[in-house]
Amino acid sequence: MTVTAPSTDPVADPALGRPGPAPLRLVRSEFLKLRTTNGWWLFVLGALVMLVIAILFNWVQADFMFSSATPEGVSAEDAAVIEASRQSVVQAANLYTSGQFFGLMFVMLVAIVIVTSEFHHLTATTTFLTTPRRTAVILAKLCLAILFGAALWLVSLAINLPSTIGILSLYDYSSLLGEWPVQRAILLNLLAYTLWGVLGVGIGVLIRSQIGATIIGAVVYLIGTAAVAILVAVLANGLGWEWVEDAQYAFPSVASGLMVSGTDLPGQPPYWVGALILVGWAVLTGAIGVAITRRRDIS
Amino acid sequence: MTDGEIVVSHLTKHYRRVRAVDDLSFTVRPGRVTGFLGPNGAGKTTTLRMLLNLVTPTAGTATIGGKRYADLADPLRQVGAVLEASSAHRGRTGRNHLRVICAAAGFPARRADQVLELVGLTPAGKRKFKGYSMGMRQRLGIAAAMLGDPQVLVLDEPANGLDPEGIRWMRDLLKRLADDGRTVLVSSHLLSEMQLLADDIVIIAKGKLVTHGSVSDVVDGDGRAHGGQVRVRTPQAEQLAAELAKLDGGEAGAGPPTVTPGEAGVLLVSGVDAATVGAAALRAGVVLHELVAEKPDLERVFLDLTAGKAGIR
Repeated sequence: MTVTAPSTDPVADPALGRPGPAPLRLVRSEFLKLRTTNGWWLFVLGALVMLVIAILFNWVQADFMFSSATPEGVSAEDAAVIEASRQSVVQAANLYTSGQFFGLMFVMLVAIVIVTSEFHHLTATTTFLTTPRRTAVILAKLCLAILFGAALWLVSLAINLPSTIGILSLYDYSSLLGEWPVQRAILLNLLAYTLWGVLGVGIGVLIRSQIGATIIGAVVYLIGTAAVAILVAVLANGLGWEWVEDAQYAFPSVASGLMVSGTDLPGQPPYWVGALILVGWAVLTGAIGVAITRRRDIS
Repeated sequence: MTDGEIVVSHLTKHYRRVRAVDDLSFTVRPGRVTGFLGPNGAGKTTTLRMLLNLVTPTAGTATIGGKRYADLADPLRQVGAVLEASSAHRGRTGRNHLRVICAAAGFPARRADQVLELVGLTPAGKRKFKGYSMGMRQRLGIAAAMLGDPQVLVLDEPANGLDPEGIRWMRDLLKRLADDGRTVLVSSHLLSEMQLLADDIVIIAKGKLVTHGSVSDVVDGDGRAHGGQVRVRTPQAEQLAAELAKLDGGEAGAGPPTVTPGEAGVLLVSGVDAATVGAAALRAGVVLHELVAEKPDLERVFLDLTAGKAGIR
């Protein structure tokens, strides 16, 4: 680069602009931060690949449920669960919300990065110099994470609608979009996508290391869910602790799975319990995130 | 903001074991470049970060134009700061880095292009930050600080990583900004650079104020006790030395001046000024070939003032 001495005195634009409403400015700035880096579309790409795999998986499951008879020799309790799952609305709700498991994880990861990249790239200094009101910055990040979650939900739905209608028609079912349980599952799926964005921001504030936060978030999400399932099976069957079957729903990813289940299966708490638990987690991590950011020294 | 004076008052920051900044008070006036000096680890960066609400003080206050940074309505329109040259996202272009700030501060996006032009970075504006040299990063930092056309500028080690031409450019820019009536506070450990750039200096060590004032006051005032001397050359060195020995130190009553013989006919006299030496030579009827008041430089004063206070704590 050649050195060019500034030819003019620093004369500010006479119209430096009249600032718009601060909250909108901050969300726009956060959106620009996300858009001007390429990392977010890798996560979106990952979510879309997993969405296609999930559609195929759910199709196989639906095929099994629609075409086979209740197996012989299962307990009356299991038979009841299988009968309930066999309902076409349950399968339709499951198909319309395909890709949820990994989609939620990618929303969480993007939300984590929205926060941690500020520390990873030392931009937190600039951000908080521009906006000393740190609560406003975190709220803007929460807004962006929610918007990103909603956008990914919308994209997923745009793919799930035609694919599900196609799959259901193969088994001579209508779209079933008029059924309230199906509509409810789709809407609660939106809630899940936005709440995981909030959770991600909370995790990002708690664990400032970008690599640490994303790896811990992904591992707890992926393996944590399986680990909880195994633990519940061992404790419930081995030791006869029936209560752990309910306690597992306190785990956020299990709670969000419950929230979007199309119908109340026997032996499961109602869907709104899952919704309440997930809202609780989101509020808790969001509030902790704001509180920590307000008092933390940026150095 | 009408005036832009920076007032640091009893500012203190304790970490678990270290008093990084300890009851520090000083003021920085508008229209002048103020150098903020201290050995590594003296607490310069911590002080600047407390001034800018990035670090919470344990005690004391720091205000800009009478307000704490956190209470400024539009901080970027009043204060521009360059703290870390490496503070932009590696994958973001310089121009987008500035536009992100514009969006948050409510400036039009074209302001980003104006400040890029101001710092001579326009050709690199659409390149990613990770490809920038240290000098380009410093320029981008200054561009960001100038976005709001602020009355007050705070810069932490802005000359770091700049080549001589870059340092010259930075010096000219900061002097011009001060001439506009702005407040310019620059931390540095490059003393020769500060002597060229600064009007006032604040020296701290171990988190405490050592001295502050205009560069000439600090160098002359503290300098007299720290190595100010008169260099005189004469073929009759012994006669002059004898005449000087009769002086009693004048108003201060400090006794006769110290005379150290140098190379061929040179005497180094400390404790009196050049005029006194000249008068003594006239009384002794000695021919002078050279008579120079050697002012100590800032570096000498700085090293004397902060001796033994540097380093790791």
